[in-house]
Amino acid sequence: MEPIIEVQNLKKSYKKRRSKEYVHAVSDVSFKVNRGEILGLLGPNGAGKTTTIKMICGLLIPDSGTIRIKGIDNKEKRLKALRHISSVLEGNRNLYWRLTVKENLEYFAGNRGMSRKDVSEQIEDLLTKFNLKDKENELVNRLSRGMQQKLAIAVAMLAESEVILLDEPTLGLDVETGYEVREILKAIVRDYNRTIIISSHDMDVIQDICERTVIINQGKVLTDDRVENLLKLFEVRAYTITLGDPLSSQQQQLLLQKFPQHDYQQDAYQSSLNIELAKSEGIYDLFDVLQLNNTSVEAIDRKTINFEQIFMKIVKGEKQDAMVQSS
Amino acid sequence: MRWFNLLKANTKKEYIELKRYLPNTIAMLLTFYIIFIGMFAGIQLIGDPSTQDSNIQYAIVNYIFWFLSFMIINSIGYEIINEAMKGTLEQLSMSPMGMWRIMTTRLISTTLINLVIVIVLLYLSMATAGQWLNIDVVTIAPILLLTLISMFGVGFIIAGISIILKQVQAFLQILQFILMALTFIPLSLSPMLAFLPFVKGIDLVREVMIHGATFSQLQVGDFMILGFNALIYFVIGLGVFLYCERVAMTKGLMAHY
Repeated sequence: MEPIIEVQNLKKSYKKRRSKEYVHAVSDVSFKVNRGEILGLLGPNGAGKTTTIKMICGLLIPDSGTIRIKGIDNKEKRLKALRHISSVLEGNRNLYWRLTVKENLEYFAGNRGMSRKDVSEQIEDLLTKFNLKDKENELVNRLSRGMQQKLAIAVAMLAESEVILLDEPTLGLDVETGYEVREILKAIVRDYNRTIIISSHDMDVIQDICERTVIINQGKVLTDDRVENLLKLFEVRAYTITLGDPLSSQQQQLLLQKFPQHDYQQDAYQSSLNIELAKSEGIYDLFDVLQLNNTSVEAIDRKTINFEQIFMKIVKGEKQDAMVQSS
Repeated sequence: MRWFNLLKANTKKEYIELKRYLPNTIAMLLTFYIIFIGMFAGIQLIGDPSTQDSNIQYAIVNYIFWFLSFMIINSIGYEIINEAMKGTLEQLSMSPMGMWRIMTTRLISTTLINLVIVIVLLYLSMATAGQWLNIDVVTIAPILLLTLISMFGVGFIIAGISIILKQVQAFLQILQFILMALTFIPLSLSPMLAFLPFVKGIDLVREVMIHGATFSQLQVGDFMILGFNALIYFVIGLGVFLYCERVAMTKGLMAHY
């Protein structure tokens, strides 16, 4: 598939104030984004996500490296490249609060050289799709934060650019609006064939809507992989087994020999066993041990790992370990 | 056509905001009028009676032009500061039209709206003072057009500085007095003053409005100086703006502070 965005060896440093030292915000970032993809750009605070996004948007000039948008170098032909990109960088702060919903849409279209007549149909369509039709004549400062966020995304959509960059699109939204924004983003890709790059700290959002993630830390790409691959890579066979009877000393001895990584806890009411099975270990071996004294099993819970935990593991550098284990 | 759409969008926005901030707009106009009344009363009370009419006429023209230059040049600086604070400056600089084109249309739309205000204030001032100036539109229009282009050049310099420094409110306050000096200064003090931005233009407008000069009475050299100033100041202003925009994009200064 032909990439719509190609980022190669991007570097950006800022000079510290009143100092000769430099902060390396982005040290070496390369990735590609395919047409129609939703890519999550993740990283802890100060990792270089926003700097990378702003360089793609043409708001920051990189020290070195190239960014190609539809094959156009955004350093050499910035304005031409900008035709294919729009963004919501600061959510509701990207709007004019003293203009109405419709006036904002018309103004930003005009700012890209589009006439009101050309976009009137599109505006009507967006107002309907984003559930803003009954608020079209409302001043933006009177809208809820969720509505402002939806309007900011609608403004980005109106630009007819193929790529939309979103920085923290669900930040500060209530659960219901957060879900609504997620559905809108999925619909943008599905119905309008746009490409989306999202930077977010909300891992539920990333897991829900992104196909692929690029995780960066300290200005470098740590991983660039599909979300499902990462979930598979970090998948653990970990169980919590609630026992009706306490384990005998013989059983405990056997467990130590066969499953050294287990954790057995016993109190006056019940016993529980936390165990993480390695690739070579089978759950039937465990049951063999439990069956020795006919120990009753009251519950077996399998622990699942979510994307937030995976993100933390990657940032902490545990990906290599996971790859070794899986191989 | 894209230029025209851009101009239309920005003119509409300027007009809407002027309407939405109506109390502010009315307060601004009242301040202008009250200061004019003060000047008028001052000239009548302590001015030389033999030159009173002429002084009032000068005061009207100079004051009106100071107001126009102040509204065009200062407002672009304040707009940049506000846009940066609101968070919309980045959106503007992401337009494929380029920020300089947006700023040009902002300058034009501010000028168009303020010209209407200035015309109303001019007639109000003339009616208050009982001094009716020569409003020869055919002669004034080309002078005004060339003078405005040099004002736009200065406006671009202010816009560029504002992008980088952001907190330039104190400078903009000083600037209004610099603009006052440029609009009130008579060209008779030194011929070299003609090469300062819009000094020559306002001098010619004074010739037309106060002394009744017609288009045919004006020298070709006058228009050459006006044209030269317009070109030089616009090119310098645009160059400074583009340079400042690039510095801002290198240092990451487009975001709010």
